[in-house]
Amino acid sequence: MNELFGSSRSARIITATLAWLCYLFLLVPSLIVIPISFGNPGQIEFPPRQLTLDLYRQFFTDPAWWGSMVQSLLVAVVTTLLSLLLSVPAAYALARSHLPGRGGLQGLFMMPMLVPVIVLGLGLYLQFSSWGLLDTTAGIVLAHIMLTTPYIMVSVLSGLKHSDIALETVAAIMGASRVTIFFRVVLPQLKAAIAVGALFAFLMSLDEVVVAYFLTGTQAMTLPVKMFSSIRWELTPVLAAVSTLLTVLSLLIALGIIALQRKTEASS
Amino acid sequence: MASSTSASDLGPGTALLLLAPLTVLMAAILLYPLGVIVWTSVNNGGFTLSAYADLAQSTLFLKVLRNTFEIAIGGTLMSLVIGYPVAMHLAAQPPTRRTAYLIMVMLPFWTSILVKSFALVAVFGNQGLVNQLLGFLSGGAIKLPMMFNRVGVILGMLNFLLPFMILSILGSLLSIDRRLILAAETMGAGPLRIFWRITLPLSMPGMIAGILINVTLSIGMYITPALLGGRQDMMVANLVDFYTRQTLDWTAASASAVVLLVLSGLLVALLGRVRGAAGLSGAGA
Repeated sequence: MNELFGSSRSARIITATLAWLCYLFLLVPSLIVIPISFGNPGQIEFPPRQLTLDLYRQFFTDPAWWGSMVQSLLVAVVTTLLSLLLSVPAAYALARSHLPGRGGLQGLFMMPMLVPVIVLGLGLYLQFSSWGLLDTTAGIVLAHIMLTTPYIMVSVLSGLKHSDIALETVAAIMGASRVTIFFRVVLPQLKAAIAVGALFAFLMSLDEVVVAYFLTGTQAMTLPVKMFSSIRWELTPVLAAVSTLLTVLSLLIALGIIALQRKTEASS
Repeated sequence: MASSTSASDLGPGTALLLLAPLTVLMAAILLYPLGVIVWTSVNNGGFTLSAYADLAQSTLFLKVLRNTFEIAIGGTLMSLVIGYPVAMHLAAQPPTRRTAYLIMVMLPFWTSILVKSFALVAVFGNQGLVNQLLGFLSGGAIKLPMMFNRVGVILGMLNFLLPFMILSILGSLLSIDRRLILAAETMGAGPLRIFWRITLPLSMPGMIAGILINVTLSIGMYITPALLGGRQDMMVANLVDFYTRQTLDWTAASASAVVLLVLSGLLVALLGRVRGAAGLSGAGA
């Protein structure tokens, strides 16, 4: 009934076929790692001839893999917390003040989204090599705070736009202090927006590879960097287990974000 | 209310205090390194543009630049040609089914680029699924080299770019007034005529935005050519890495990075003119 090109049957069949081929092309590669991950540890096999957990055992017993995963989780958690701590107050100030130059500052906070990551990677590499921050957890966390800022900004600014300013005005008129208003009136309304931003930031940091590849070596190596060199040089089947774990984690985070966004849309 | 002194407003002092930490950090970790790159590219004992002159004469750089445009533009055009019918298919579905299909389109969007790269090698590599199937069907006669060459890069690009293109075109298609098509049909227009005269022109904004987003995302691509391409398929981002780590020529690396920065800056500005750049996320994985 709602054909965009009239109700031609052949046109419909052609687009449907093309579309399904495309869905498969987008879907299959992300899902095929799951059966491979339960296969033979000797080689990448599909379909796997026997089902084992050997690849997971290899992953969790090899400190090079396991350690880089712990490192990645650590970096992602610290990055997310610090990024929230810096971005939420800044977003609040952008939305609720009339400071000249706000537009410029907002542009600055969004910029990491628009600059090619390789450029940022090189710049940080040159800068950190003279600051002694190369291959340190502090260095990679700093870089990731910068990279995740725009995602938290977007989410929190839109949360502030949808929150009820009248409540803040009323609280101010009733004599509540700035601090009280922020913690008792503003923050509770922003919970969902902050959670969405935090999940985005966490996933972004967990998946980030280009900058981490420039900034980390053997000491501070994150999981994506380890995966990158493994895909490049050895293509071990353990990658299937790592990929499955990461995909499951990403999907859980995605579901969390979508559920939270639904909730905020429904309540506003 | 138009007053600038509403009770919920922060004074300039408080606002500055809240903005200062992030501003300082971004100045130190974002602006300063960009400055370092520009400085490194023009400083060789004194101000000089020799690094750029060298690049302009370097066969390697020119080849890489050509690769970059070929892959970015070729990948984008293929993504447009494949993405358009997919967007039409999605637009024609009832809302609940559309949501279900959209999940399939969005899945790669959420998966790590490394997982996708590894999976593409597992599917399209020499020992991969497709070649196993071809070998089985042809009795071992046919083997298609689809990885670690240009085909591999394009497959990886498409897997990464298609969701952006599809979503962008879908937005335009969904905003088309269906009564126009109904009217055209009633007046006797055939399906092709309706497509050329109504659907295609009205979806132009989505197509243009999709094209610009795709080119912007692919021009700075590093992972896909590094993992799925061969030595011949180096793009500018890979060259930056090559100069930085292989030849330790930081001046050439910086100059190449500045070229990439300018190119993508122009594209982003263009995109910003077409529509707000807010929809652009995940740039250049």
